[in-house]
Amino acid sequence: MKILIIDYGLGNLASVRRAVEECGGDPLVSALPADIARSSHLILPGVGAFADGMSLLRERGWVEPLKAAVRDDRIPLLGICLGMQLLADRGDEGGESDGLGLIPGVVERLRPAGAEERIPHVGWNAVRQVRPDALFTGIPDETDFYFVHSYAVRPADASVVIGMTPHAGGFVSAVRSGSAHGVQFHPEKSVPAGFTLLRNFLAV
Amino acid sequence: MRYCTRCVMPDTKPDLKLDEQGVCNACRSYEKRREVDWEARRRELDAVLDRYRCRDGSNWDCIVPVSGGKDSTYQVIRMLQLGMNPLCVTATTCDLSEIGRKNIENIKRLGVDYVEFTTNRKIRAVMNRIGLTQVGDISWPEHASIFTIPVRAAVQYGVPLIVWGENSQNEYGGPAGAADNNVLTRRWLEEFGGLLGLRVSDLVGMEGIESKHLIPYTYPPDADLARVGVTGIFLGYYLPWDGFSNVLISQGFGFTTYHRTVEGSMVNYENLDNHQTGIHDYFKFLKFGFGRATDLACLHLRRGRLTRQDALELVKLHDGKFPWEYLGKPLADILQPLGLSVDEFVKICDRFTNKKLFQCDRNGNLVKDREGNLTKLVCDNPS
Amino acid sequence: MLKRRVIPVMLWKDIGLVKGVGFDSWRRTGTILPQIRVYNLRCVDELILLDIGATAEGREPDYETIRDVAPECFVPLTVGGGIRTLEQVGRLLLAGADKISINSEVYSNPGLITAIARRYGSQCVVVSVDVRRTADGYECFRHSGSLATGIGPVEWAIEAERRGAGELLLTSIERDGTMTGYDLELVKAVSDAVRIPVIAGGGAGTFEHLHDALVCGGASAVAASSMFHFTQQTPLEAKEYLAARGVPVRRFAVSGERRTNR
Repeated sequence: MKILIIDYGLGNLASVRRAVEECGGDPLVSALPADIARSSHLILPGVGAFADGMSLLRERGWVEPLKAAVRDDRIPLLGICLGMQLLADRGDEGGESDGLGLIPGVVERLRPAGAEERIPHVGWNAVRQVRPDALFTGIPDETDFYFVHSYAVRPADASVVIGMTPHAGGFVSAVRSGSAHGVQFHPEKSVPAGFTLLRNFLAV
Repeated sequence: MRYCTRCVMPDTKPDLKLDEQGVCNACRSYEKRREVDWEARRRELDAVLDRYRCRDGSNWDCIVPVSGGKDSTYQVIRMLQLGMNPLCVTATTCDLSEIGRKNIENIKRLGVDYVEFTTNRKIRAVMNRIGLTQVGDISWPEHASIFTIPVRAAVQYGVPLIVWGENSQNEYGGPAGAADNNVLTRRWLEEFGGLLGLRVSDLVGMEGIESKHLIPYTYPPDADLARVGVTGIFLGYYLPWDGFSNVLISQGFGFTTYHRTVEGSMVNYENLDNHQTGIHDYFKFLKFGFGRATDLACLHLRRGRLTRQDALELVKLHDGKFPWEYLGKPLADILQPLGLSVDEFVKICDRFTNKKLFQCDRNGNLVKDREGNLTKLVCDNPS
Repeated sequence: MLKRRVIPVMLWKDIGLVKGVGFDSWRRTGTILPQIRVYNLRCVDELILLDIGATAEGREPDYETIRDVAPECFVPLTVGGGIRTLEQVGRLLLAGADKISINSEVYSNPGLITAIARRYGSQCVVVSVDVRRTADGYECFRHSGSLATGIGPVEWAIEAERRGAGELLLTSIERDGTMTGYDLELVKAVSDAVRIPVIAGGGAGTFEHLHDALVCGGASAVAASSMFHFTQQTPLEAKEYLAARGVPVRRFAVSGERRTNR
């Protein structure tokens, strides 16, 4: 079975593909939703604005197949950065737009909590594991990951939150609802812990 | 990619430099040998050996690191001729060949005390795999251990003098200061020991490797070195070094050569002790566009035994052949302890190949012949 | 809190990597891919890859090589050398660069900083500033340190920030490759003058040098390469040293799970 890396025209997918390979997975970068059928895991990467991301997913016919795949927790899905944000109900970056609705909540722009803080939030920052999750197996609490973003998901249901990061008053940096997982940071750019997380995901 | 106008070494080689006349620093340091007063150097050597010779017979006079190869056999012969009582120390190679074992037994028969240190083979295989997959050098752990094990032996046995062979920076090209050096220090080892910017301590935590597994690969602490007064000298600084005459001398003392030309090489008398060496040399070819045949052709060329034209042809004939076997052992068997298949190996090769140096098709894929061999784009300077 | 970073710089000239001293006497040290893979293993925080031949030879960035090596880099990768247009930046980002570094071109065309920041975000614009000490202070140099610009580093840093630079890579030409320590006076002068992160470069030789640039110099990150390539000091030990002296550095899982393959 393949690890499907969803190619919907946003961002560079080569790093994610190589990272999956290094973590022992068999990656397939594909623009064809039909490839979901031969995949054990789905990865939704992405860099850019929420509205662009959703309109590309819609145009290329990914929205319904993705929802169907994750419904009833059939296939594990990992959203990375913008990919995590797209899992939410709604976002307003680049114009108000509906998301995939796999994680109840909205995407909001970060607001600096003090004079020292900057947006975009770029660099290595800690992820506090607010509850135990298989995604973080073997990763010590407060481990740093690499972030580049200005927006973050605000979930409607606190029980999906698995990681928080102390910036902009504290934002949600990792979520899980059933088989839908999302991380705001870039595991493929965060060796070694990022690879541990990817391997954990591949083991789900 | 440019080549030295005198020998056939390309400027892709790390630390090799071509001067305004297009001549490389290895050729220049060879040239300088003519100005060396070898008589004076010999007297210097006598003085050094005298200083370290044990007067009361309570300890060895020096450590000679030996692989069993032609150079180390020669080092032992010379030390005995100079009246030294050496302790010979071998760091067992990654995948010791039969002929390598035979030559080690031969060194013992020369009349010396001898110890062989073999590192944990399971960990070694893991380190070989990390070396190959991560830095493209299967022999990475060997580069580390051939330097650390004799130094650790010096500390442990309380024998301060270590007699190394050639200074690779002089023989094969390196920065001026390093090439003229007569002593091997930790700084030299870290900079020129072939560690490729990866350090032994970087491995802790990878694939189950713990600090305790890396003891033989770890350089002794400064305090221990100072207590014993460990000093490493390059014999090649004191005696005019020639690998080929080392073969002749060693052969006279029982050293065995291979029954045919070694795979990927152009001679039958060196790199006979480790089945993984073929892979090591092949990766050098993939990264830098030259292999062992180039090294050897240059050594002979500088000493007037080959013309540049002959050297070019021999290099073309032997360099960079896909390492299907080495010293008769098939590639699949060599890879087996590393847990790698030939297919996986080919993938690793492709990843480390410098695509600027080899022919690619229109899609940027490497062009290979039926034997898996690549085609080098530039084999000599344009005439 | 964002962490202080340790960043090796790889200098690349035609077919491989080089190291110099004072932007001169280049030595070939190896090839790009193995070096990136080594640094993946060594727990560095980012990597910077600068093509030092591009501007001198008047050619474009080598997109093909970046496409080849960038996917192998599992920490953020900054790519620089020969960048003159917005379009080139787009191609480099598409080839896999996470950020780009610009230097020579922006002295005559500072609007490029703004254009890149507007289009791709200031987080991906690193303005690289090479500085020499002169009789009456400091001066910025372009074209790999070969051409004087007449501008002082503090003035130029403020200008680059105003134009939209996300970070500054500040390199002391004299200290480069010497391993004798950063030019702390320079680091401090520039760090004090801007709010954007300053990466101190040129001269790192010991862990204490790194500490001093971060704590006394006020840098957000330290670039270092000779000390990690030529000596036994490792990036992990560097960070343990910095952490022990109270500098916030990133934490990673050291127990058992540092392997990156299989």
